[in-house]
Amino acid sequence: MTLIEFRNVSFVHQTGVTALTDVSLSIGKGETVAIVGENGAGKTTLVRHINGLLKPTKGSVLVEGKDTRETTTATLSRKVGIAFQNPDHQLFSESVENEVRFAMKNFGFGEDLIAQRLDWTLKFFGLDQYRKSSPLVLSGGEKKRLTLACILAWDPDVVVLDEPTVGQDALQKEKLGQIFKLLQSTGKTIIIVSHDVEFLWPIQPRLVVMSGGKVVADGQISQIMGNRELLEGARVTQPQLLRLYQGLASRPATPFLDVLEARDWIGGRKQKPEAR
Amino acid sequence: MYWLSGGFVFRKVISPFHRLDPRAKLLVSMEFFVLSLLSSTVVEVILILVAILLVATVAKSLRRIARTIAFSGLFAVFIFAINFLFGLGLLNALLYSVRFLAIISSTSVFFVTTSPDELEQIMKWMRVPRDVVFAFVTAVRFIPVVMLDAFQIMDAQKSRGLEFEKGNVLKRVRNLVPILIPLVVNSVIRSGELAEAMESRAYGSTPKPTSLYGMRLRWYDVAVAVPSLLLVSAVALVVVFHVTLYI
Repeated sequence: MTLIEFRNVSFVHQTGVTALTDVSLSIGKGETVAIVGENGAGKTTLVRHINGLLKPTKGSVLVEGKDTRETTTATLSRKVGIAFQNPDHQLFSESVENEVRFAMKNFGFGEDLIAQRLDWTLKFFGLDQYRKSSPLVLSGGEKKRLTLACILAWDPDVVVLDEPTVGQDALQKEKLGQIFKLLQSTGKTIIIVSHDVEFLWPIQPRLVVMSGGKVVADGQISQIMGNRELLEGARVTQPQLLRLYQGLASRPATPFLDVLEARDWIGGRKQKPEAR
Repeated sequence: MYWLSGGFVFRKVISPFHRLDPRAKLLVSMEFFVLSLLSSTVVEVILILVAILLVATVAKSLRRIARTIAFSGLFAVFIFAINFLFGLGLLNALLYSVRFLAIISSTSVFFVTTSPDELEQIMKWMRVPRDVVFAFVTAVRFIPVVMLDAFQIMDAQKSRGLEFEKGNVLKRVRNLVPILIPLVVNSVIRSGELAEAMESRAYGSTPKPTSLYGMRLRWYDVAVAVPSLLLVSAVALVVVFHVTLYI
């Protein structure tokens, strides 16, 4: 079932710069989609159309069949949660718990539900000990997790994450990967804008490659990542695990998804199933 | 908002006016400013406004100055209404409001055509203390950055269900808190980082630093500055001192 649809969307900024040209894209319910491409390719501009922050100059964007031009960002945001790249652009409350409460209050949630979701979210993201602290004193990684917590607290159907791994250490990235898996298992539609192909590779999302404001490829990550020429055009590198896989004389039927699989294969244990 | 702010933000354009020495541009802008104040009839102020628009056309910045006029138009209407309601008469009310537009446009012409670097050179030439120059020029340079920040913050808060246009005046003012706090915090963080970066690049290590670029008056700067100065002086003599000129 199509949840989000871009129909021949073009967008020109007020400065006159064309950011999107004739983009058509359909995203189904429960899909995990990663959008990659060079800086200025139009990735962030594209996702800002989903909750109506930007309205297309030409074409239309439909969310659950409704044109984003005919509804407000606040209404769309109840369904589409966007976590922006820079957490400092949204944190303002005097405490972490009030920061998480903010959106739920805006959406008119009852106090009981707010308290329930607040507890769950803070525990889930490991922020419970900072409940009463100012969000401004948190570390970069904690702020990033807090912005995610703020989004997931109101349980939107679509979760859009703009560069979620920027400024995260290896452990946080691993945690983030686990959060994605959990979100995938709950049937959420996830859209990730990222340059971090190493992070995206194990998740195996549908991959949308953008370049110069256009969608230049759309398909399974394993297929697209094999096309070096295309990737070079969009300034995207292949994941190291795929490069390792391609360099092996004897290799399994499908590429490695994590280092342990690769280690086992190279170490001669060959435990990777031949077909996934 | 971005559209409106363009009327005071420098944009690099190749035009005869942009090529002028910044002192000549400042002089022209100040002359328009003075003439606007000296004018005593609506026709005179309109003529000055037309002259400013002509300069803006030469500077290939007519649309930008038009934005300034469009934005200032709201205040001009307010000035007109206040003066008219307080019994100054239609013509006087019109004079004050159009004069306001001329004054704003004259400063806009200067800021749209003068880069922050040129601004810095002028201030140094005026012997303004170096730290003051740096603070002022940095503030001007950062206007577009802070504005971009403000838009991104607004987007982030709108995405969390905040509706700025909803509610009474008090609620609307309260709705600004989620924008102002991150904006101020970001600006403070940025200024701290900038100060550290400047110090790391030896800012303040020499009492009299040299400049890579200097100002140099060329023949076309003089060709603009001298006649315009003579013209404004003549007008000032006639208007202020009631001197009769025999030309």
